[in-house]
Amino acid sequence: MIVINNFFGVILKKTSVFLFIFTIFFFSIVLGSSFFNQLTLTNISRQISIDAPIAIGQAIVLISGGIDISVGAVMAMSAAIVIGTQSLGTVASIFLALLFGVLVGCINGVLVTKGRIVPFIATLGTMSAVRGLVLVYTDQKAIMGTIPGFEFLGGGSVGFIPTPFIFAFLILVIFHNVLTKMRIGRNFFAVGGDLDNAFLAGIPIFRSRFIPYVISSSLASVSGILLASRLNSANPQIGIDTALASITAAIIGGASLLGGRGSVFGAFLGVATLGTLSTGMNLLGITTYFQIGIKSLVFICVVVIDAILVRRAISSVKDSG
Amino acid sequence: MRFNSKKLFLNFSSRESLKFKVIKNVRDQISLILLLVMIIAGSQFSDVFLSSKNLLNIVWAVSVLGIVALGQCVLIIACRFDMSVAYSIGLCGVVMVVIQNIGMPWVASVLVGVFVGLLVGTLNGLICVGTNANPFLVTLGTGTLIYATSLTITRSKTVYTPFDAFTDIGRGKLFGVVHYSVLIFIFLAIMLELMLRYSKFGRSLFVIGLNEKVGKLSGFSVNKIVLGAFLICGFMVSIASFIVTSRNGSTVANVGLGMEFESIIAVVLGGTSLFGGSGGALRTVVGVLVLGVLNNLLILMNVQTEVQQIIKGAIFLLIVWLDISLRSK
Repeated sequence: MIVINNFFGVILKKTSVFLFIFTIFFFSIVLGSSFFNQLTLTNISRQISIDAPIAIGQAIVLISGGIDISVGAVMAMSAAIVIGTQSLGTVASIFLALLFGVLVGCINGVLVTKGRIVPFIATLGTMSAVRGLVLVYTDQKAIMGTIPGFEFLGGGSVGFIPTPFIFAFLILVIFHNVLTKMRIGRNFFAVGGDLDNAFLAGIPIFRSRFIPYVISSSLASVSGILLASRLNSANPQIGIDTALASITAAIIGGASLLGGRGSVFGAFLGVATLGTLSTGMNLLGITTYFQIGIKSLVFICVVVIDAILVRRAISSVKDSG
Repeated sequence: MRFNSKKLFLNFSSRESLKFKVIKNVRDQISLILLLVMIIAGSQFSDVFLSSKNLLNIVWAVSVLGIVALGQCVLIIACRFDMSVAYSIGLCGVVMVVIQNIGMPWVASVLVGVFVGLLVGTLNGLICVGTNANPFLVTLGTGTLIYATSLTITRSKTVYTPFDAFTDIGRGKLFGVVHYSVLIFIFLAIMLELMLRYSKFGRSLFVIGLNEKVGKLSGFSVNKIVLGAFLICGFMVSIASFIVTSRNGSTVANVGLGMEFESIIAVVLGGTSLFGGSGGALRTVVGVLVLGVLNNLLILMNVQTEVQQIIKGAIFLLIVWLDISLRSK
């Protein structure tokens, strides 16, 4: 694993915290009380909690040295399934949506590990196929939910805490523990850092590269279910820019495209930063097109900074021996 | 004894090389075989398929995608990707039409459109070369940025060209038989094939695609060559944008939706490896034709457009998998 032990490395490790605090400060100074009130903050936390599971999944895939482009499509399809199969009952529809996520995750995992296809090409393929499936299933129209109680999952709140926030927090705690305490989580770091050495060290590399895709796809379908519940509907446009956003969040949170680095807590803070940014931009009255532009600029910056840091790290490893 | 073992060894090696030759030939010509199989299958399925009108229509329908795929092919040979092509097509067309409406003559507007394409190529190339960032992700980002730009210019509305002469290029036919766009496509493909085969720049693309380190050590200026590849891709995209805009007489920001994906499929279908270092322009033409015939057959068989997308995704994965498993033999 490449250790970054210089000034930029320290900043990188804490980027998510810095950026998050900076964004909050920036908007609370510029917007004042129109930003810093309970309604806005609850809205932001609701939005964050729906996006967080995907970013956490993406971070895990990045840690294991892969990338998952198909998350947005999986999110859309899960939302469509959970709304479309409501006649079977809420529990059954949620189960089916999750099952779909696990299935796509297995396909991605098999393509990458057994098929030896480059991760982004493999997940690009599944993305296209799943997008097609979404269009077939929804018939290119929005579909509406019929069960009234279903809205509680994504739209309700317990006291002043939004329900999706509880789910996101649970997922965060679980996967933080998996990555830091459990053997399988440490193995993700090992295979992402150096596959050959991990193999020589006797780490089960098939399992450790396969499971992250399953986790990522299942978490994408959790996000899809929460979003569908919040909107109480599903439309084929869901998740068009999700892949970009989740990768941005994960990299802000300290993950690298090189693999072997990152944390789910960082990814969560990355999502929080992006969510605050987009709510702040909405309140400032910036048009949607500009928002798309600004978000893609952030994405490009994040990717470029990551690349520069990786190059620095590699050359420092070479210099030291 | 020694003689025998030598003979055995010879036999063994010749049998190996025969097997290798078969695999190599199948691998190299898989797209051509696929094209022939599909044409034969098509002639069985439907009696209008083999009519000259239908065949010309197939080529006409894929010519825009084909030109984009030619640009993508240059990048893939050098082991890079451009995911922004889908949106740069929109931006070039939008710029062309908008400055026509301001009052510029259409020839000048086309030149400006080509300039925009080259500019996008330079932007992508400079970011990738300067920072060593993953081209796939960088162009994914610039693509969205370009999309936002053209949405801002058009306010997400359709813009129409005021010139009739402009639309003649995209719709017109030479001697009333072959569309100009098809001729442009074929011309560009042949020029590109010649460049890839015989020019110094073309050959060095293959070296870089096979092994960048070796290329650098043998004295190629890798950065310039990669930048050149991005410029060629930008140029091809702007030409494709010109054709699609003049064919429609109007354009929208998302006119090329899904084309980044389809162009990669076409290039890989043609037998260019995703790992770089092999391929060619004429192969890409075959790949594009396979995609066109497939589209045509699916339409003739009344398959839904959405189902077509699923089928394309599946075929893409199958081809990539075949490419990898045959190459590792």
